[in-house]
Amino acid sequence: MHGGHGSDILFHIFGLPVTSYVTTMWAIMGVFLIVSIIVTRRLNKVPGRLQNLVEFTVEGLLNFFGGILGPEKARRYFPLLATFFLFILFSNWSGILPGAGHVKGFRPPTSTLSVTAGLAIVAFFATQIAGVRERGLKYLKHFIEPIPIFLPMTLIEEFVKPLSLSLRLYGNIFGEETVIAVLFSLAPYFSPIPMQLMAILFGFIQALVFTTLTAIYIATATAEGH
Amino acid sequence: MELNMFDLIWAIINFLVILAILYRLFYKPVLRFMDSRRDEIARNISEAEEARTEAAALLNEYREKLAGAEQEAQEIVARATKAGEEARLNLLEAGRDEAATLLEKARAEIQQERDEALRALRQEVATLAVMAAEKILARTVTKEDHTRLVEQFLNEVGEVH
Repeated sequence: MHGGHGSDILFHIFGLPVTSYVTTMWAIMGVFLIVSIIVTRRLNKVPGRLQNLVEFTVEGLLNFFGGILGPEKARRYFPLLATFFLFILFSNWSGILPGAGHVKGFRPPTSTLSVTAGLAIVAFFATQIAGVRERGLKYLKHFIEPIPIFLPMTLIEEFVKPLSLSLRLYGNIFGEETVIAVLFSLAPYFSPIPMQLMAILFGFIQALVFTTLTAIYIATATAEGH
Repeated sequence: MELNMFDLIWAIINFLVILAILYRLFYKPVLRFMDSRRDEIARNISEAEEARTEAAALLNEYREKLAGAEQEAQEIVARATKAGEEARLNLLEAGRDEAATLLEKARAEIQQERDEALRALRQEVATLAVMAAEKILARTVTKEDHTRLVEQFLNEVGEVH
């Protein structure tokens, strides 16, 4: 139930300890890899059921990001944002499966602050890189605007973004997972089902919130005439 | 709520790895495929539009041609009808003339025939009369009477002519 990090080490790779969070991430990555290969192996002009679902998802995400970033930038940052969304979504949903958090090697990755912080750090750097790439020095100048004294505040503003991203995601998913785990331990067969159904929705919403906020941060950083 | 640095590092590594994998194996091919299909559909639509415009133009052109041809045909028929009428009238005229000529000729021929027949008849009658008179006179008339009568008869015949 508790994070229980240190005690969870399964083995080491290149001196890096591998925990159940990491193996679960790998499992999700494996699923993504397999689905990618299956889908792109044969793309039909008239899509089948799986291809339809994939196209629907891609099209939907592209339109959604387009609403925030505009079509051109949405296209440019689509891989980053879509990966955030899909990776977080399936991490969240992995917590709905029975055994999550109990079975060795299976813990929903987004239920630990360590992973959400890692993702938020990626989002942070992606935002800064996007800002510099799109606007160059003008982007860096906005840290000392309207007057240089504001520098500490604009920096804090920038660093608070990943902090809020990681805490929000971690808190929500950890909370859900905890509730489901408790219900599961109390009455394993039926009591967790309503909560699991809720968790499907919340897992989706949290993935969307993280991704949407990242998109907004990128949109703000890359916007001309800020 | 402790922060495990290794999990954090793994999260970053894993995210970048899956981003790279999805970019190569998923986003790029899927987006390219969807783009190419969209382009193809757009191209097909514009091509269909073009073909339709072209067809409409062609239809118009043919309609105009057809109308022109119809008018021309009517003109030709009218001209032909007129020419036919003229030819008919000419033929009729010529026929009438020819008929008149033939009639005239026939009449003249008939007249000639009649005259000839009449002359022949008259000659025949004269010959017969002479022969009859000869026979009668041979029995009753003297040589002098005979001569006188012939002269008288000849005079009479000459008077008729």
